[in-house]
Amino acid sequence: MTVQKVWSLFDRSQLYECYECSKCSGSCPVTLAGDFLGPRKILLKCLQHGSGRVIRDPLLWYCTTCQVCQDRCPQEINIPELLTGLRNKAAKIGNIPERVKFTVEKIAKTGRSVLGFKVERERKRYNLPPVVEISKEEISKILAETGFFKDLKIDH
Amino acid sequence: MALRYAFFPGCVIPAKYPHFESATRAIAKVLDMELVDLPFSCCPPTSNMKLVHYDSWLALAARNLCVAEEQELDILTTCTGCVSTLKEANYIMRQKPNRRRKINRILEKAGRHYEGTIEVFHLLDVLYDHIGLEAIEEKCIYDLNMKVASHYGCHLFRPSYIMYPEFLSPSHSYVPTSIDEITEVLGGEPVKYMRRFLCCGYPLGANVDEDASYEILREKLYYIKAAHAELIAVACASCFEQFELGQVMIKKKYKETYKLPTLYISQLIGLAMGIDNETLGLKEHIHKIKKLLPRLQERTGRMRATL
Repeated sequence: MTVQKVWSLFDRSQLYECYECSKCSGSCPVTLAGDFLGPRKILLKCLQHGSGRVIRDPLLWYCTTCQVCQDRCPQEINIPELLTGLRNKAAKIGNIPERVKFTVEKIAKTGRSVLGFKVERERKRYNLPPVVEISKEEISKILAETGFFKDLKIDH
Repeated sequence: MALRYAFFPGCVIPAKYPHFESATRAIAKVLDMELVDLPFSCCPPTSNMKLVHYDSWLALAARNLCVAEEQELDILTTCTGCVSTLKEANYIMRQKPNRRRKINRILEKAGRHYEGTIEVFHLLDVLYDHIGLEAIEEKCIYDLNMKVASHYGCHLFRPSYIMYPEFLSPSHSYVPTSIDEITEVLGGEPVKYMRRFLCCGYPLGANVDEDASYEILREKLYYIKAAHAELIAVACASCFEQFELGQVMIKKKYKETYKLPTLYISQLIGLAMGIDNETLGLKEHIHKIKKLLPRLQERTGRMRATL
């Protein structure tokens, strides 16, 4: 039930609306920083070869999720949705950066993305109440139900 | 009647930057807002969980919305990542009945049910729309007298059709002005610079490549410096980290010194309201604001608010 297909998140017919003005890649902060893929290249690869090849490319993950590509697209193609769909599929076949996997695993197991040893001591210095406890069982129950552990091959 | 909100501080601020939280609670007290602590989990972020597993992202976000719904409170977040996740999840659950049914089936296993009765706001929205600039101005006892460069954080206003659907321009995009207008009210001078609404690069550094992310930041800092800004005001803890640590890394790598102090928006407001430096945690910053503090100018006939 939870197999993420790229085209279930993104309407494939939108790909044909692209008129290759390259405004997305021109605005993309990541293409400014180096020779990475950029939204336009990914979109064109999807048009030419389908999603199969691009989801095996580690460069797919070079993105800041700032969504300026969608903001500026004159054809209003929802590029972030395409990229989300592609990365969901990439994560399933194991193309996932180490650090991303580490963070989502931490969220799944503790319910928080940042943990610290001296948190409560630091908070007391500012007269702040302790961080509210959450039920870890509830979080992992929900995630077991969505198929998170199975899809990412994480021990549960 | 005091405004009441479910307080959603996120993960980063309570653990890494408790002084942002104490500054936020202090100005909330001055402005007569009540913040209620509830058992929220991680939002979870659009920059990792959503990319890896969409359904899990939506389910956890919907769970957080349910927690606030049960108390019948709107959510106030202090982080742009959280506001983006929660607003987007709220939008999807309302607009797409198929997904809503699916997620509700999952949530029912944990004894929760999404109804769609509450709204999500960032601290900036609350200050600007609910409290109002006049009410903030009344409580200020100092004029800031500094040139402030604002950085909103991409997730605060993108995608605009979800975040601010009522303020879309004809080209279907939206540009926020709240930090600049608040700065003006505090007696500071907002500075306009190039690449103002573009990314600071943090998620790229956190996910894959730090060097490339500092390259993006370096471009931004260059334009901030060129506009003669003296400090940076941010509305997001991740952006803060990028500006604060990024300046150190850029100095190491390129021998360029910027030394721009970065303040969270509630610290900036607290400064103008005369809240003491210990509560605001100004000492915790790497790039100190101490040099700029003598520039604060007292306003006549104003009483300091008691905490």
